[in-house]
Amino acid sequence: MITTSRRARLGWNIATYAVLITLTIFCIFPLVWTLLTSLKYEADIVTQTMQYIPKRITFDNYVAIWTQSGFPTLVFNSFVVTATTVVLCLITGTLAAYSFSRFHYPGRGVLMLGYLVIRMFPAVLMIIPLFILMRGVGLLDSRFGLALAYTSFLLPLFVWMLKGFFDAAPKELESAARIDGCTRLGAMVRIVLPLARNGLVATSVFVAIAAWNEFLFALMLTTSQGSRTWPVGLQLMVGEFQLPWGVLAAGGIISIIPVMILFAIVQRTMVHGITAGAVKG
Amino acid sequence: MAERMSALSEQSPSIWRRLDPAAALGRLSESRYWMYLLLVPSAILILAVVLYPTVYGFQLSFRQMRLNRPDLGTGFVGFKHYIYMWSDKVFWLSLRNTAVWVTFAVVIEFALGLVAALALNRNLPGTKIMGVLILLPFFLPNVVAGHMWALLLDPRLGVVNDILVRLGFLETYKAWFADPSTALGAAILVEAWHGFPFFALLLLAGLKGVPDDLYKAASVDGAGPIRQLRLITLPMLRSVIAAAVILRVIGLVNSPDLLLILTGGGPGQSTQVLSLYAFQKAYKDFNFGYAGALSVVMFVLLMVFAWAYVRVSKVNQD
Amino acid sequence: MSTLTLNGVRKSFGAMDVLQSIDLQLEDGEFLVLLGPSGCGKSTLLNIVAGLETPTSGDIFIGDKRVNDVHPKNRNIAMVFQSYALYPTMPVERNIGFGLEMRGVEADTRKRAVDGAARMLQVDHLLDRKPGQLSGGQRQRVAMGRAIVREPELFLFDEPLSNLDAKLRAEMRTEIKRLHNRLGTTVVYVTHDQIEAMTLGTRIAVMKGGVIQQLADPMTTYEKPANMFVAGFIGSPSMNFVNGTLARDGDHVVLQTEGREPTTIRLPRVAANLDGLDGRQVVLGVRPESFSAATGDTADLVGTIDVVEPTGPDTLVVLAVGGQTITARLGPKLTVSTGETLGLTIHPDSISLFDPKSGGRIG
Ligand SMILES: Nc1ncnc2c1ncn2[C@@H]1O[C@H](COP(=O)(O)OP(=O)(O)OP(=O)(O)O)[C@@H](O)[C@H]1O
Ligand SMILES: [Mg+2]
Repeated sequence: MITTSRRARLGWNIATYAVLITLTIFCIFPLVWTLLTSLKYEADIVTQTMQYIPKRITFDNYVAIWTQSGFPTLVFNSFVVTATTVVLCLITGTLAAYSFSRFHYPGRGVLMLGYLVIRMFPAVLMIIPLFILMRGVGLLDSRFGLALAYTSFLLPLFVWMLKGFFDAAPKELESAARIDGCTRLGAMVRIVLPLARNGLVATSVFVAIAAWNEFLFALMLTTSQGSRTWPVGLQLMVGEFQLPWGVLAAGGIISIIPVMILFAIVQRTMVHGITAGAVKG
Repeated sequence: MAERMSALSEQSPSIWRRLDPAAALGRLSESRYWMYLLLVPSAILILAVVLYPTVYGFQLSFRQMRLNRPDLGTGFVGFKHYIYMWSDKVFWLSLRNTAVWVTFAVVIEFALGLVAALALNRNLPGTKIMGVLILLPFFLPNVVAGHMWALLLDPRLGVVNDILVRLGFLETYKAWFADPSTALGAAILVEAWHGFPFFALLLLAGLKGVPDDLYKAASVDGAGPIRQLRLITLPMLRSVIAAAVILRVIGLVNSPDLLLILTGGGPGQSTQVLSLYAFQKAYKDFNFGYAGALSVVMFVLLMVFAWAYVRVSKVNQD
Repeated sequence: MSTLTLNGVRKSFGAMDVLQSIDLQLEDGEFLVLLGPSGCGKSTLLNIVAGLETPTSGDIFIGDKRVNDVHPKNRNIAMVFQSYALYPTMPVERNIGFGLEMRGVEADTRKRAVDGAARMLQVDHLLDRKPGQLSGGQRQRVAMGRAIVREPELFLFDEPLSNLDAKLRAEMRTEIKRLHNRLGTTVVYVTHDQIEAMTLGTRIAVMKGGVIQQLADPMTTYEKPANMFVAGFIGSPSMNFVNGTLARDGDHVVLQTEGREPTTIRLPRVAANLDGLDGRQVVLGVRPESFSAATGDTADLVGTIDVVEPTGPDTLVVLAVGGQTITARLGPKLTVSTGETLGLTIHPDSISLFDPKSGGRIG
């Protein structure tokens, strides 16, 4: 009895490792291959026989994408849009999350649901009027306008995730702070926000990654080099210039490096926040 | 209110204190309506940038609006777009493709996600790092994901083709995205790669919430792993699964990004889905009225689905 | 002078009435214990006094000032919470001094005050630690330090000891008593531990369903409970209740019990207030320790022993008396066993009679 169950356990362990290794390869092989491609000479990419391990390595592709196109501008635009989005989310979303987490009042449940339902609105339905609207107020093709759009559809996620982190801070802390002499705002700023610091960082990173990656709104709402973000720029380059694979791969790698770094830093807290929000909601 | 204000300003007689914006905000926070005031900034944003445009979009779907044909004006045309849609072959095709696209993607993603979550939940040594790597694709941009896979599946230098030929599964390299019979399938594969980590993430969180005692009790009762999965794990995960499926379906129906990058709906209309069709109507043809009508239909279908799904999963729970 | 006065304080959350017209007057230096089961509104009442919640109606006075619209920080109170509510990001020293800091007290003065409070509570060696690095008992002491450092007019404690283990709890209970004796500050103390209530309070307010059932000093509350709820809530094992009808049997008043096998319980000759109650349906309340074993004719009642539980200092005997159950606390070296019959006498002066319908005290 014992031996069979031990053997069964060993079998399941082996199967577990097999599954995980397969899935890991499935997940990161495209990344690895792209990285390898970005380091190959064009001649080694377009060959008769596939080169799995590059025989020689070059950084020409990186130099090419960085110097021969508007890529730095695109990255800079993306950076500005992302930063603006995060700041807007932090200001408006933190307040809303705090309200939902700390107070019980008539209409709270409905409002919370309302913030969530927003996510169900099709981007396409929003995007057309938004185009007309932004053109009307002069925000079309501007980084700020794009950040505004991002903020509005990322806010629900931001609020729900952050609410989870706020919920974890005991309510009595604010009571104590108020008796000690803080206003409600003071208690929030001095006591709760420092306590939810990790949550704030993780939630911001989540929003930052989403804004950095976003493609559809950017495609529709930006029309010139002045505000275009990298996903749109890269996509257009592929279409217009028949971008060589190596250069495209280099561009891809450059643009996901910030994502990977941010992900690596706050991975644990962020995953916790996402799952808490979704499992509860 | 007024009493409280004056009581507070007694405490800080200095005019500077009273003019200090931080102090003023602090006093405001003592108001009875503070919880609502906290919502004002985000509500304004959402109203202006989400709600108003959405309502506008609904209304657009009943109007003529073609930016490249100003001669047609922007008049009210009633149900014209909806009636046209009824006879629009591409619409019906996109509807069918959307169903296929969403169903297969969700099923595959759920299956892979469940397997990954079950495996990760065993917490064997050395699997933590794999857990992190498996989550990575979810956070990668569609644009990069799309082009990575385009490179991998390229008809001339795609490594997947090379591997399949070497293993003997294929005679020659295949142009996956150029063949109408494989294009949607290939796109679903890419989507699965991109989206299954989401299921893994949520299901793993759900699994962590299942008490170990249940499994111990079940194995004492002689239930094997498969039966434990069916009798304990899946029922315990029901609400997580429901939430994950709903969220994913909404995401898949609403965002045309990946298909836009991979195929642009082609070849022919073989990978055309509703969201992409609507987007192209707006972005390429500037036919905002018809695009609006398409998105309204999509939204309504999505709502009906969500409602029915929640209904069914609730009923099953009882 | 009275420190705290509540006049008709009510509180409802939506449709739910949590407090129903609370009236209370607290003299200087009193130690009032709010005692009651979970959810009866103790914390809500305390929060209203602190200014953390607003009452739906009614007035609150601290000293002679109406404080309904006064911010918590200006009410001259300090509060200790069940979870201690120490600021996790601040070291102990700043935690204790935060209230002074917010009131703009100079750093020097503050330091002196914090050191004084810390020494009094024996946490002066912990001032540099964060709350996360403290044990439960130490956290409790820091929370107390934070309250006393401001020298408030009124202390509010919300179940401050309920997160401690039994031994620490007893220790801190003594400490709080000592502190109260030393500082003489008025205290409102919430608990659902009746031992804390009896040992600490100068008065106890027993609450149920948002209503104060009885407000009296501990001994009165124990010996003359105002109704069956208070009688049953205080004391462990709790008071015995026997339903029956009063009757006269010669010199004695007796209780004709109800139940499957009616029997008669002779009541001790007590106050005249039993006169005129003949024939009335009542609930007799007798505390377990008010019985002693007796034999023959001296016994006031006779029952069959059901369970015998020696606890060390004494023996708990559960008897079936006329189909009803009675628990008696008897001497330690009792040699009785299950199934035997046992006679008991009831001590004079220690019975309560309640109205079976309203539950209120009759005599
Ligand atoms: N913010 C609120 N909204 C709605 N109901 C509330 C709120 N706060 C408390 N209640 C309800 O009021 C009642 C009294 O709560 P309170 O916290 O005062 O009880 P308590 O006597 O302190 O109980 P415990 O001994 O468990 O601490 C409870 O039924 C509770 O559910
Ligand atoms: Mg309480």
